[in-house]
Amino acid sequence: MSEPQPPPPGPPEEADVAEPSIEADPEAQTSLAARWDLYQRTGGVITPLLTAIFAFFVGGLVVLVTTGKNPLSTYRAIFDGTGLNWFFPWVTGQEREFAAEDLQQTLLVTTTLILVGIAVAFAFRCGLFNIGGQGQYIAGMIAALQVGVWLPDLAHVPHMILAAGAGALAGAVWAGIAGILKATVGAHEVISTIMLNWIALWIGSYLVGFNGPLQDPNQVFVPVTSEVSQGAKLNVWWGDPKLQGLHIGFFVAIAALVVFWIVLNRTTLGYQVRAVGFNPEAARYGGISVGRNYFLAMAISGAFAGLAGSVDILGWLFRVDLTSVQLSSQIAFIGIAVALLGRNTPLGIFFSALLFGALLNGTSTRNLDPTVFQPELASNLTLIIQGLVVLFVGADLLILYLWRARAKLRRKLRSEPVAQR
Amino acid sequence: MTTQAEVVLASGRIKFRIARAAGIAAIALGVLAFWVALPPRTVRSEAVPVVLGLLGIALGLFSWRKGETRLGWTAAMIALLGMLGGVLAAHAAVENLKVVITWSAVIAATLRFATPLIFASIGGLFSERSGVVNIGLEGMMLMGAFFGVLGGDKTDSWVLGILIGMASGAALALVHAFFSIHLRSDQIVSGTAINFLALGITGYLYIDTYGQEGTGDLPAVPDVNLDWLSRIPPEGLGSFLEKSIGHLNLMVWLAFLTVVLAWVVIFRTTIGLRIRSVGEHPRAADTVGISVYATRYAAVVVSGALAALGGVYLSLGFVHSFTENMTAGRGFIALAALIFGKWRPFGALGAAMLFGFASAIAPRLQNVESWATYGTLFQALPYLLTLIAVAGVIGRSIPPAAIGRPYIKQ
Amino acid sequence: MAERRGPVLELRGITKRFPGVLANDHVDLDLYDGEVHALLGENGAGKSTLVNVLYGLYHPDEGEILINGKPVRMRSPREAIDNGIGMVHQHFMLIPVMTVAENVVLAAEPRKAGVFLDYDAAVRRVRDLAAAFNFAINPDARVENITVGQQQRVEILKALYRGADILILDEPTAVLTPQEADELFGILKTLQREGMSIIFISHKLREVLEIADRITVLRRGKRIETVPREGATQDGLARLMVGREVLLRVEKAPAQPTEPLLVVENLTVFDERGLPAVQDVSFGVRAGEIVGIAGVDGNGQTELIDALSGLRSVTSGTVRVAGKDVTTETAHQHYDAGLGHIPEDRHLRGLVLDFSLAENLALHDFEKEPYSRLGWLRPGRMIVAARRLLKEFDVRGGGPKTRAAALSGGNQQKVVVAREVARDPRALVAAQPTRGLDVGAIEFVHRRLVEERDEGRAVLLISLELDEVLSLSDRILVIYEGRIVAEYGPDVSEQELGIAMTGGLVPEAAAS
Repeated sequence: MSEPQPPPPGPPEEADVAEPSIEADPEAQTSLAARWDLYQRTGGVITPLLTAIFAFFVGGLVVLVTTGKNPLSTYRAIFDGTGLNWFFPWVTGQEREFAAEDLQQTLLVTTTLILVGIAVAFAFRCGLFNIGGQGQYIAGMIAALQVGVWLPDLAHVPHMILAAGAGALAGAVWAGIAGILKATVGAHEVISTIMLNWIALWIGSYLVGFNGPLQDPNQVFVPVTSEVSQGAKLNVWWGDPKLQGLHIGFFVAIAALVVFWIVLNRTTLGYQVRAVGFNPEAARYGGISVGRNYFLAMAISGAFAGLAGSVDILGWLFRVDLTSVQLSSQIAFIGIAVALLGRNTPLGIFFSALLFGALLNGTSTRNLDPTVFQPELASNLTLIIQGLVVLFVGADLLILYLWRARAKLRRKLRSEPVAQR
Repeated sequence: MTTQAEVVLASGRIKFRIARAAGIAAIALGVLAFWVALPPRTVRSEAVPVVLGLLGIALGLFSWRKGETRLGWTAAMIALLGMLGGVLAAHAAVENLKVVITWSAVIAATLRFATPLIFASIGGLFSERSGVVNIGLEGMMLMGAFFGVLGGDKTDSWVLGILIGMASGAALALVHAFFSIHLRSDQIVSGTAINFLALGITGYLYIDTYGQEGTGDLPAVPDVNLDWLSRIPPEGLGSFLEKSIGHLNLMVWLAFLTVVLAWVVIFRTTIGLRIRSVGEHPRAADTVGISVYATRYAAVVVSGALAALGGVYLSLGFVHSFTENMTAGRGFIALAALIFGKWRPFGALGAAMLFGFASAIAPRLQNVESWATYGTLFQALPYLLTLIAVAGVIGRSIPPAAIGRPYIKQ
Repeated sequence: MAERRGPVLELRGITKRFPGVLANDHVDLDLYDGEVHALLGENGAGKSTLVNVLYGLYHPDEGEILINGKPVRMRSPREAIDNGIGMVHQHFMLIPVMTVAENVVLAAEPRKAGVFLDYDAAVRRVRDLAAAFNFAINPDARVENITVGQQQRVEILKALYRGADILILDEPTAVLTPQEADELFGILKTLQREGMSIIFISHKLREVLEIADRITVLRRGKRIETVPREGATQDGLARLMVGREVLLRVEKAPAQPTEPLLVVENLTVFDERGLPAVQDVSFGVRAGEIVGIAGVDGNGQTELIDALSGLRSVTSGTVRVAGKDVTTETAHQHYDAGLGHIPEDRHLRGLVLDFSLAENLALHDFEKEPYSRLGWLRPGRMIVAARRLLKEFDVRGGGPKTRAAALSGGNQQKVVVAREVARDPRALVAAQPTRGLDVGAIEFVHRRLVEERDEGRAVLLISLELDEVLSLSDRILVIYEGRIVAEYGPDVSEQELGIAMTGGLVPEAAAS
């Protein structure tokens, strides 16, 4: 695996081919960041939409072929399970109450996915592939939990902030290891973050597992930690706090989207990160320290993933158990899908997090009507849809084909006199 | 002029050999330092491992000074670890050690745990040697695990089960190949998608086919019983051999065969030369008339089939059933083994054995009450070692030069 | 030479277009049996494109290729090899981690039992082949461990092993030391005696006259003339190569230099391979003058530029900008000391192509007012500043928010020049400032450089274009093999410069 290469001169239409030469390194790989930029410029909102629709279409085919059930009614049932029907004014009474509960669940998941999606997207902008969301998420969970359990006498607001901050910091440190390795010895971040994931997983399992240092001394037969003290819990602003209502972490995630955008586009740090992501050599020429930015981008990316772990712990899990440590891999990997489908933009990340959050929640055993479709099947269907989305959204050439086709169409329209401005 | 250069070279080579021998001796001493403190020797004096370890460290540093930079460092590190391990073991209660370290059982378990990793990392070797990153190994293994079961179940034949499993992995690999070679997707993104897909497809079909009941009776890949081993004199050795390698699954042996075959193919055949050339410098390969695309397709598909074989072993050879996500990250460990083994078949084998050893020891640690929790922690060790290896402390792993880069024809 | 028979190879009317560029414009070329035919031309004259067409790497838009009088199609290197063509690429097509023997036999390996690589046979054959042509090469050595000259011989062996009778060498001496080049000529003469026909690409007059039987001169994608060596002179060839009508002259008053602003003393810099690329170089550039550095590509210019601008560590010597010693400082501190740097490659370095023009214009100063304050970017200010600069430097094709990649090469370069000049540097390093630009943009850049000189800046111009150096410089230094070998006033003749650039002034013995 190589260092990110300098970007090639843009899409063919704009290429500035002054000195065509076979030596011009035609293998020069598009840097990740340049790819993202290409996606944004070329695909716009169309490509992700098409991709998602296509993935759902294939998913529907799978349902039809394997079970003979009507895909539409299956999707309808999943949709009803997501609680998104709460937005329809004609849903009233009891149904509306259920829908509200379902929607709270969906948004809980969305909150997490937004944060892990930002984590992936931020690193991408520096040309780094942070595949280590899992480890950073675990680190965040455990750090937030510790701070949440300690200091039981602390006032509510500072305790929340301190605990959530500890989680973010832990995530930053965990990702920062990969960043430092990248900056100093050039170790590829994909490999090191994968390793850090597993190290975190096993350390986490050890900490919360049987006889682990963090296991709840009152429940020796369950691999679970003590509960965070009341003061550190995030306020629930919608729904019943006892039934996992929606906590203020949702607003933290929304705020994180804004922060993500502001840091990247309105700070000198973001300027450096983007410059390094697009073209490390030009950044170096410009006087920017490339290594320092690799480290900072990884750390910030990890902070978002760590924050995802903290809001989950402080918002509704309250304890870390072995299952949540193990399930973290799912969440972090969906973060990649979220970032890819969301095309790196805050709005895109929000909607794709909502899509995947809804899918996860709508296909859960708890929310999907088993008479319509088996939830166990449906949750796997979700995985297939995710896989297809990631597969197609990441295919450069497919996107270029679409883009060229669109450009051709435009040119045609333009050449017709009526269409002229 | 040339002859002079050759003389210099030759004398350099001799020096090199001494340095290398010192490095290897240092590693042996490090292992010995640990081993003497373990059953059956269980030397109780700390002095023995300390002396052996220090000697090993000294030799390792000597080797480093004499030009074997990487080997020297590695050897010194191993000697240091061996010494620490030896001192720790010398401190531990003998009965506890005996519970954990029953060598024959540990060896058998190590081989069992290593087998799926060996298959998958050798699979990864083919793909990555041709220049295509394959983090979809996990998914390809999972495909093999499920379709091996499904095929074996439907045809009532473990042979067909294996073949069908391999075919499923190859088919998924073909998707990865198409997207990363022809469509020039980011290979890591494509691999991630492959893992999602495999998880979804196998989970879906598993529930759809077997529901909640599970897979039931399956044709099992047979064990190879080598009872005659026990008759090898002297008495202790025979029964030790019989217990450790006398009743292994056929696929364990197949895994070793695969390693040898992979080494032969990669380093001794023209096909291997071409695969390596495509992974190192695709344009150079292109200019002498090698089809870069075809070579990469073939390598990725082979990689899928081999990874799937690892999955088949898990389901049909080891556990005798399928559960959702049963590979549980072994594909990633295999990838780590490949990197740790520096993209070489025997290196990957060694790394897989090391990781297998960690997996074998971990549950055994739980048999000692006071050590139980460390069993979990112990499992993080392989990843930590790989991380250190990647960081270049143990010696930089150098991947094929063109890895991860799509090749664009003129 | 062997004109009684027809040519072994003929190219007729080869035309190759790239978007926006006509790289080959109906080029004809013929090659006779046992002949060395040189393709001479400046950088970008279309030499490489032509031989890449011949080797099946590019597909021509028009024209045909005839081998022994029969038309053939070269769709891939495979077909070129099958037609007996071998090529030594300018950047070697060798796999560094493999042995010489492996590299030579790749894709045409001797086998055992059908599938196994017969490595011993490969070594044997390579050794025999090497011995037959008197190459000193160890077939078992890894390519990464042998010298560049030996690597080139491996490339030649690759062609010989495949039974090539036509050998193309693309700028083979560009990477060689003079001694290695002499050895290469010896080899080529041997090959010629064995009946090999050779196409030899170069832009160095001296060596073309030494090795070639006939010389075809290319300029701007067109074949200008084919001349026999007998009667050809360096003067005549230089005139054909450069072409009088394209010589650009810039109106400028005589220089009135004052205090030195960019001073280099005893500078030595190593390249990536750890070999000295710049050796003991000393010079000064004074305010109000343009000093040009002329030289053939690869004689240490890149390393010199990098060392001057803080992008490469200096082994020994000092660099001072406006009196401040910046030898060991970072690039950023060079800029702060008053250095402006128009880099060699605007795509690789000069611009972040995916950034907007406003962002690109702020590349050195984004951390300072007015572009940012306390870590916060002020995009509004960036745009205001950019709008002013784009207007002043007449950048067309986009506004402050346009992506840099969307501009034409000339306008991109104007953006780079704008950024470097607008910072009001004391000393300006301009490396290949007009590479790949059209005439209009070239004139703009030239005028601007003279204006900057007249503003009292010290301008160092490093260029591979002779007429550029000649028309702009007030003093001319010639770099050869990492050393400054000559200094001239502005009135030096092109021929005289050309000889110095190609090592003509350096006695062979002292060239090491």
